[in-house]
Amino acid sequence: MNKIELIHTLPNVFQNRTDIVSDIWNQDVTFEKGKLYLVEANSGTGKSSLCSYIYGYRHDYQGLILFDGEDISGYSVEKWTDIRKNHFSLLWQELRLFPELTALENVQIKNKLTGFQKKKQIKEWFEMLGIIDKLGVKVERMSFGQQQRVALIRALCQPFDFLFVDEPISHLDDTNAEIMGRIMAAEAKKQGAAIIATSIGKHINLEYERVFNL
Amino acid sequence: MKLVWKLLRQHISIPQFVGFFFANLVGVAIILLGVQFYIDYKTLDNGDSFMKADYLIVNKKIGALSGLTGKNNTFSSAEIEELNNEDFVERIGAFTPSSFNVKARFDVEGFVNFSTEMFFESVPDEFVDVKSDAWNYVEGDDEIPIILPKNYLDLYNFGYAQGKGLPKLSEGILGAMRLKILIGSNDETREFWGRIVGFSSRLNTILVPETFMQWANEEYMNPNAVKNPTRLIVEVENPADERIVTYLQENGYETDEDKLDASKTTFVLRLIVSIVMGVGFVISILSFYILMLSIFLLVQKNSMKLENLLLLGYSPAKVSFPYQVMAISLNVLVLILAVAIMLIVRTIYIDCLGYVFPDIDVQGVFPALLVGTLLLVIVSVIHFMVIRNKVISLWKRKE
Repeated sequence: MNKIELIHTLPNVFQNRTDIVSDIWNQDVTFEKGKLYLVEANSGTGKSSLCSYIYGYRHDYQGLILFDGEDISGYSVEKWTDIRKNHFSLLWQELRLFPELTALENVQIKNKLTGFQKKKQIKEWFEMLGIIDKLGVKVERMSFGQQQRVALIRALCQPFDFLFVDEPISHLDDTNAEIMGRIMAAEAKKQGAAIIATSIGKHINLEYERVFNL
Repeated sequence: MKLVWKLLRQHISIPQFVGFFFANLVGVAIILLGVQFYIDYKTLDNGDSFMKADYLIVNKKIGALSGLTGKNNTFSSAEIEELNNEDFVERIGAFTPSSFNVKARFDVEGFVNFSTEMFFESVPDEFVDVKSDAWNYVEGDDEIPIILPKNYLDLYNFGYAQGKGLPKLSEGILGAMRLKILIGSNDETREFWGRIVGFSSRLNTILVPETFMQWANEEYMNPNAVKNPTRLIVEVENPADERIVTYLQENGYETDEDKLDASKTTFVLRLIVSIVMGVGFVISILSFYILMLSIFLLVQKNSMKLENLLLLGYSPAKVSFPYQVMAISLNVLVLILAVAIMLIVRTIYIDCLGYVFPDIDVQGVFPALLVGTLLLVIVSVIHFMVIRNKVISLWKRKE
């Protein structure tokens, strides 16, 4: 997939508000494969909604969202499954890890599905992010910052054209945020993919093509 | 899939599943036993493999005087019509007597030598349950298929042969032998071979195919012969129906009472077996619901995990799979155990029946297995689809 277009897209909850000033809502916006985007937002401006619309698990918006010119509102379950497996990867703000599984199992549950990354690569990322000692530890016993790093590794265990990261470094120190940015950028580059990052203040330092104010 | 299963087996309630398992086991075992017992009983009951079950033979009472007064003991077509219109009658057929001379010789070299005047009767072919090629006469054939009363064989085996020290004859041996039959009018006779296709303990007559009877009656008609039937064969809906007895009494008809009783026993037994199977069925349905509810509860409790798996790119089919496997394995296990229970109980009751019916000819368990497998397939398909729908509904709720 090469292009995501938002055409006058607006969450239904905002539909009666006249004070919306946004680079994205109610505008025509295009995200292209291979480029880096930052979406800056105050909380409550619909940042996670944006992710959920594009990721296909919420549809409470008006206007159009197009993937390569195709309206996504008619996509089937199979189509979305394929997109989530092979085209989009999302690092949720709320992470959506499985607390009862270990860090490694959480990553593997994705990687077993796609068979995309080698175990060696996964371990290398754990190493780089300083959580190699947490491989066999259940996620519920890890700090949120550590969990964020596990979730990132999981997000990289699939082929993607677009990588969405929703406040990926909110609980990370600057060093780890830096490492995370490097890993993400390298993997996106390798895959020729775009990164769409959101932030409410602290953001990863990447060479963004465009910065939107939501 | 191992990891997915590790996730999804959380919150599985063992007591609920054990509850389902035993309830369903009891239900399915009862159903299978019911089916099997009924089939086993039917093979015992069926003294006449070639006569259908629920029929009665009806004739008019012959009183002390009727022979002398010449009072007619035949059924007029109006009487037949009236009986046919009764609710309890499914269908009705007349016995057609032979209106020609019949003589039979039965030779077994060195053993037996019978020769006797006799008679034939026929009933409509649909009352005779013999393969059509065995019970068929085409004009010009020299061979006539015959059904003899079982009494004749008993008379020979337990009376004649016993007294004279002759070998006893089985139905099989007699079936292989042939009977020389002479039929004709006073001026003309013709020779036939009789082939015994069976022995009936319910029909007290010598039965030949209707086609033969029609042909021979036309050919060798004795002008003095009575044309109206003296006996009727009546298939009834329910032999235990009180109206039958009342009707027969009111019209001065007779039937073979003990057959009526035997039919009643069969009917009552069938009723009991149906009730027992019904109970088994209800238990099965309830246990089916237990499993259904357990799985719903499980899906509900694990809904967050299921949603996350779907968001990670697992298809609804993949996510449903572990629960489907679980439900279907439980169903299969129940069926295997239920079949085992059925077989064990069956050996016990067959042993008991063996005392009462020494020549018990045990049928296979195929029908019961078929019923069991059918139940398994239906229940499993429903479980499969319901789980799938439940997972899809999780997907949809997001919208």
